[in-house]
Amino acid sequence: MGGATESELTDIEKKNSFLILTNNPLVAETLGERFLIEFLDQKSDIEVLTLARNRVHLGHRILTAPLSGSVKPGETPYRSLMMTAEADDSLDFFSLGNMERALSVLRHQKVSTRAGSSAADLDYQLVDLSLIESALPSLEAAGLA
Amino acid sequence: MSWVTTCSVPAKEVTVSQYKVVHYINQFFGQIGGEEMADYPAEKRPGPIGPGLAFTQALGEDAAITATIVCGDSWFNENLELARQTVLDMVREEAPDLFIAGPAFNAGRYGVACGSIADAVQSELGIPAVTGMYVENPGADMFREKVYTIATGDNAAGMRRVVPAMASLGLKLVRGEDIGASVEEGYLPNGIRKNFFDQKRGSLRAIEMLLNKLKDKPFVTEYPMPVYDRVEAGPAIKDLSRATIAIVTSGGIVPKGNPDRIESSSATRYGSYHIAGVDDLTSDKYETAHGGYDPVYANQDADRVVPVDVLRQYEKEGKIGKLHDWFYSTVGNGTSVANSKRFAVEIAEKLLAQGVDAVIMTST
Amino acid sequence: MKLELGYIDIRGIRFDDYMAIEDGILVVNPKELAEAVLADPLIKSARLEIANPGESIRITPVKDVIEPRVKVEGPGGIFPGMISKVDTVGSGKTHVLRGMAVVTVGRIVGFQEGIIDMTGPGAAYTPFSKLHNLVLVMEPVEGIAPHDYEKAARMAGLQLAVTIGELARNLEPDETEVFKTPRISESFDAILRGLPRVGYVMMLQSQGLLHDTYVYGVDAKRTLSTLIRPTELMDGAIVSGNCVSACDKNTTYHHLNNPVVRDLLKEHGKTLNFVGMIITNETVYLSDKVRSSDWTAEMAEYLPFDGAIISQEGFGNPDTDLIMNCTKLEKKGIKTVVITDEYAGQDGKSQSLADADELVDAVVSTGNANMPILLPPMERVIGMLDYIDKIAGGHDGSLRPDGSIEAELQVITGATNELGYNLLSAR
Repeated sequence: MGGATESELTDIEKKNSFLILTNNPLVAETLGERFLIEFLDQKSDIEVLTLARNRVHLGHRILTAPLSGSVKPGETPYRSLMMTAEADDSLDFFSLGNMERALSVLRHQKVSTRAGSSAADLDYQLVDLSLIESALPSLEAAGLA
Repeated sequence: MSWVTTCSVPAKEVTVSQYKVVHYINQFFGQIGGEEMADYPAEKRPGPIGPGLAFTQALGEDAAITATIVCGDSWFNENLELARQTVLDMVREEAPDLFIAGPAFNAGRYGVACGSIADAVQSELGIPAVTGMYVENPGADMFREKVYTIATGDNAAGMRRVVPAMASLGLKLVRGEDIGASVEEGYLPNGIRKNFFDQKRGSLRAIEMLLNKLKDKPFVTEYPMPVYDRVEAGPAIKDLSRATIAIVTSGGIVPKGNPDRIESSSATRYGSYHIAGVDDLTSDKYETAHGGYDPVYANQDADRVVPVDVLRQYEKEGKIGKLHDWFYSTVGNGTSVANSKRFAVEIAEKLLAQGVDAVIMTST
Repeated sequence: MKLELGYIDIRGIRFDDYMAIEDGILVVNPKELAEAVLADPLIKSARLEIANPGESIRITPVKDVIEPRVKVEGPGGIFPGMISKVDTVGSGKTHVLRGMAVVTVGRIVGFQEGIIDMTGPGAAYTPFSKLHNLVLVMEPVEGIAPHDYEKAARMAGLQLAVTIGELARNLEPDETEVFKTPRISESFDAILRGLPRVGYVMMLQSQGLLHDTYVYGVDAKRTLSTLIRPTELMDGAIVSGNCVSACDKNTTYHHLNNPVVRDLLKEHGKTLNFVGMIITNETVYLSDKVRSSDWTAEMAEYLPFDGAIISQEGFGNPDTDLIMNCTKLEKKGIKTVVITDEYAGQDGKSQSLADADELVDAVVSTGNANMPILLPPMERVIGMLDYIDKIAGGHDGSLRPDGSIEAELQVITGATNELGYNLLSAR
């Protein structure tokens, strides 16, 4: 699916609530006090994105890129995504297209069964936190946070 | 030496270290005749014939054509099963190391025959195969992802250039050597991305491509974008309670016994099934014909794929106006784009004629 | 703007107790250089090593590759806003130590990117195997935040390159090359009128830790798309803070030697009219993508461009920015060619990009980053191997007992660079 209209996005700026969907305990811990977090403990990256995609079908919109960062799926198990907390009464095709494309990439990239040392694991959490944090200034500017 | 006028010659003596090749050509290149002889049944002859002589040269010391199979294009295409079996048996007898078909240039039925038989030889006999044809030959789209297909021009004048490319690629396949990228080896892109080192760096290639594009000159993109067939969504139904809803499925639900013999994959037909008075699809009357998913749950209860029970409920409750008396079904497993489009056009016309307002499409 | 680059060809590197460039040989004092790096309290250890083309050496994990340069004439200094003061660069004279690079190596995080093999099959895939490399291997002090260490390592590399570059200030270049970037008004000169107006849109990775780029010291994350004169890049106006992925992130060396810039400048006045260059970012927040691409398209139409080359950086998410930039320009009637790498899976059968649009009909591919590759063991490793199993493109058991590495092409620094620096392609 190619890009549908992006004009739907401007409507979000007027909404005043969003949440962070994440399987990253560091995100839950660090941002949990300031923002609404839905923490999917122990869930995989595909499960996080699948849940986000399902929410889109229910009228929610995504605010950040589902495949942010260049650390590959299969390396980092962590995904964090910002979504509107309230549903609209219409389906946002831009969000849907992005989610389905992201899921398609995740399914095709080599998924390793690496256990990873705990040091690497913390670092993946850190990079993922940094990626989602990079969106905060824009959210604040839009009056959403 | 013109390949057209020379006759067949006995196979040169095959030495122990040489690879054995079987060559497949049609009635024209086999010097049987033109279109009027297109129903010539497959026949195996020893040694190379016609273009086979050019191949003999190109293959050099490393390989030799031990047999040529000459087959009429009509005979092949109109007797697919028989033709496949016959030719496969002939190839099996020869036990070659390599199978070469064509080149077919822009001859459509020839191209389809070449691709089809080369694919069969590969998959059923495990023998590497090479063919060649023009990019617009229908056989190209059908088989380029299954069989290495050297790109040719649209007429046989290109034979001299094409034969060495086919021979070279064929020898690489036999030897198990690494096959390079499509531009390097000369085959039609086959959906497998291969790396190679180009002559110029990417930035230069980009500038050259842009200059061509700006001058409306032809250019070839290095990565063709997957093209999605985008359909505008129709306007929403304002009042569902007065709408007639039909179900169309590619999930393969059919009456038990599959009376219309819808194929479990690569379906060439669809069926329409009467459900007036039917409240629920049950396992004694309905099943799935689809070969691409585990059929257990669909066979237990076909409503899982074609939700007659729920829609009938809605109809009774007044949520929808009416559940249409017919549902349309095919199997969406490897269905060709062409067939899918054909089914859709026909079904849409019928639904419109029958006064249906909206369709629920289900798949698996 | 006119910039003259004076190339001093470096044929080798030698350690001694003084520092100079003698007849093409760079002589450095490793102790003095290491001490300078250790002046930063965040860095626990630092040492210098030399790697020459053809030697059986593996350098890993590579953080950045930087070409030493020095501003000899004209305003500003190299890496303005980072090492030198903020001042507009890109004019005057700059000396370049050609044929060598500073390579920074060290763990920023527990997984790390980047292998450079100086010989063997891997060497063919990285341009840095052909350079004489002065490698700076660093270790952070325990317990500091990765952000702080990343910055410290980044600055250490840039500073080292500037220090080395300084040695070339008073030398006579072996070769010079002059680049002129005309004003927009000059792009309408009669002499250029028959030529197509071509622009360059350069996308910069800007998503967060290990994913950042700096323009005159400004983090590209919250920048608006803007214009930059191509010669500013040659003085280090754009610097890499980017470690992932090794194969397609732009090292500072790539920024300094941007091939699209060089090739466009070369063709300017001959086959095309190189009107201008736009830089734009690749963000995480979706609305920012819309804004950045809208802005880029508006500017391209404003200048105007007849056609544009668009290059991107990174994997996945940036494909969306790429498609947005491309389609918006195309819809304004500006013809585009896009340069990108592919992630088509190890078998080459997966869809190469994370996004697609039929308007993107002219693509230059810089290769499939998922291609499996076997890197034989090297006699010497500069850096460390203990993280190899976790490197992007690696897997458990990637590092075999004999020291060879079974991984994907994406582990090699610069292998599928999306500025079109290399000859590698895919079809």
